[in-house]
Amino acid sequence: MVAVIENILIYTVIWGSIYLLISIGFSLICGVLRIFHLGYGITFVLAAYGLWFFLSDMNLGLIPSIILMLLLQIFIAVVVFYKGVFQRYLDEEENLLVVSILLFLAASHFVNWLYPVTAGVNLPTTLFQGVATIGVVNVSYQMIAAAIVGIVVTALFIFMFMKTRIGLIIRAMSQDLNAARLMGASVNNMYYLAMILAVIPPSLCVIMIAPFWSIDPHMGQPLLITALLIAILGGLGNLKGNIIASYLIAFVHFSTSFLLAPRFMSFAALFVTLVFLIVKRGGIVEGETIW
Amino acid sequence: MNKARIFFIVLAVVLGLTLGISPAMAQKGKPIKIGFMGNLSAPFSLSAQAAAKLAVEEMNASGGILGRPVELISEDTKGEIPKGIEVYKKLVMHNRVDAVVVAEKVEMGVAGAQIGAELFREFPHIMFCTIGGTDDIWHLVRDNYDRYKFAFHTYYFVATHYLQILGGQILPDFHKNYIGSKKIALLYEDMAWTQPIRRGIPGVSPSLKDIYKSKGFDVVYEATISLDQKVFSTLFDDITKSGADAIDGVMGYIDQASFIKQWAQSSARDIPWFFWGGIAGMPMAWKMTDGMIAGGSIGSSFVKVPITEKTIPFMDNMIEKYKVGPIFGSHTTYDTLFGYRKALQQAGDTKDIEKVIHELENVKETAVLGTIGWDAKNHHNLPYPAYVTPIVQWQDGKMVPIYPKNIATGKFMSPAKLRK
Repeated sequence: MVAVIENILIYTVIWGSIYLLISIGFSLICGVLRIFHLGYGITFVLAAYGLWFFLSDMNLGLIPSIILMLLLQIFIAVVVFYKGVFQRYLDEEENLLVVSILLFLAASHFVNWLYPVTAGVNLPTTLFQGVATIGVVNVSYQMIAAAIVGIVVTALFIFMFMKTRIGLIIRAMSQDLNAARLMGASVNNMYYLAMILAVIPPSLCVIMIAPFWSIDPHMGQPLLITALLIAILGGLGNLKGNIIASYLIAFVHFSTSFLLAPRFMSFAALFVTLVFLIVKRGGIVEGETIW
Repeated sequence: MNKARIFFIVLAVVLGLTLGISPAMAQKGKPIKIGFMGNLSAPFSLSAQAAAKLAVEEMNASGGILGRPVELISEDTKGEIPKGIEVYKKLVMHNRVDAVVVAEKVEMGVAGAQIGAELFREFPHIMFCTIGGTDDIWHLVRDNYDRYKFAFHTYYFVATHYLQILGGQILPDFHKNYIGSKKIALLYEDMAWTQPIRRGIPGVSPSLKDIYKSKGFDVVYEATISLDQKVFSTLFDDITKSGADAIDGVMGYIDQASFIKQWAQSSARDIPWFFWGGIAGMPMAWKMTDGMIAGGSIGSSFVKVPITEKTIPFMDNMIEKYKVGPIFGSHTTYDTLFGYRKALQQAGDTKDIEKVIHELENVKETAVLGTIGWDAKNHHNLPYPAYVTPIVQWQDGKMVPIYPKNIATGKFMSPAKLRK
């Protein structure tokens, strides 16, 4: 039994940290722009296939390809989603949701047309090969590296929100938008910044998990669902709640996997979230603020 | 040039055109019509359609069937059963086809068999189902021969053969004598086609687990994997702890790329695995997994190994002429049509449908994957060793055939050795 508990705890820490990478960008947009960004899944697809395009079709090196992929992500986030969709449909929430998800699905299908599974897309982003043994648990070094990146990125976000002037403005906006505007906050610039910041964690996530995760044109859908689940359970748009929910979902996943069966992992997480929301409607950390 | 000379030249040209001597032009009479229906958005149906076109093109080039040209009429079902029924009716009643090839999920074949049975008296025809690993089609024939005698099923292994032949003969031999394993971890994907393999078929075969036990193996681990599962690391930890020395995966549709990548970075990375099908058996799998697939074994009809003299030309022509990979459903469609041609040649005509059915029940024709022919009572195709799907192992970026011995070009190597 001790071995099982050890397994559950170690996998919870590792995958909870990876779930942070998956979900924190979504929560940021929820918290700052107050938008339920159903097109968020596109960032995972663009990260994988944008990187592949620059690497394989343009024959560029890994680092230039990552930089260009991030620039492409920023362009899509700012020009297509923020200016093209969010600003246009800000007062029509249903249209905003529908257009966002349609754009995401259309992009997935377009990528599928460009690079079907038979194209054999794979990202050469393995940092460390091999398996580490922690107590009785065997975990790949790459998974540990992905978890560390998750923790570092989250820590940097927290630092930014707590210790910088920009973070202060964003927190002020998430508490009371009109008051922040009256105090001279450049709301529009902060929205742009939030959109740009939100693409970084999912992009890093894809780069880090590619060595142990399949790359396919529809990979954005399960990752979007994970992000949604965590954001909803955490309390929409609250980063504290997002962090707790990431580890809680990971705990549910791996408790189920080790104590019951791996195939019930997703169901168990959905069930726990549902029960939790019935008991506590606003999620783990209720409130309208980002922190 | 005088008028007489011009006249003879013109006459020679006209005669040359009308009495041309190419085999295709020598065909006379009403064409033999073959209807093809599939989900033309799905890769397997597109591959099967290309195989059907290739077969018809080759038949016409060699004189057609019984001296008559062969015409292929393709229809898209969009993967929807109601649309499929409409398409089947159109092909049989309007186009008056002699045979219908259903090349998509087996449910469509079952729907085709039902509507075909209603139409058969007025519009005699043959139905071939060339995709689907369940027993549904031949069970219809077995249980009500008179009603469903026009239905024939061709596939690599239907569920009964999976249990009786793949599970009952090939895999125990493969695991014992090639890998040297005694303790098996069994993994199934959570889909309908694996249900008879998990539970067995009453009166026909015990489950795969019980078959392994009866062959002297210890089944030390058993689990079912859901199609949306992405995290397999914990599964591999459990398999390692169970003491398994081989993994048998009854799966073709799970996220195999994640499975393989996580296997190669787990404590189970030295335990060899075998899958029945899926992307692991396709050429791009090495690239997709960055070579982490090294050491994995899989049943694959993608490998270019000359099972018969037809195998390599078929694979080359599919890619060269139709730019389509010969994925599942393509071999079975191509072979089925050549089996049909031989049966018609033996019957001498298409008019007497009873005679055509009789000849289909007795025909044997050289095929891409061995010999095509159908069981006289049940109408499933003749299984292994008549129809062969090679077992290959990924070694140094290539799929190397390792089973059966007569087509093997290499030997099984442990994943640990290959990784070095």
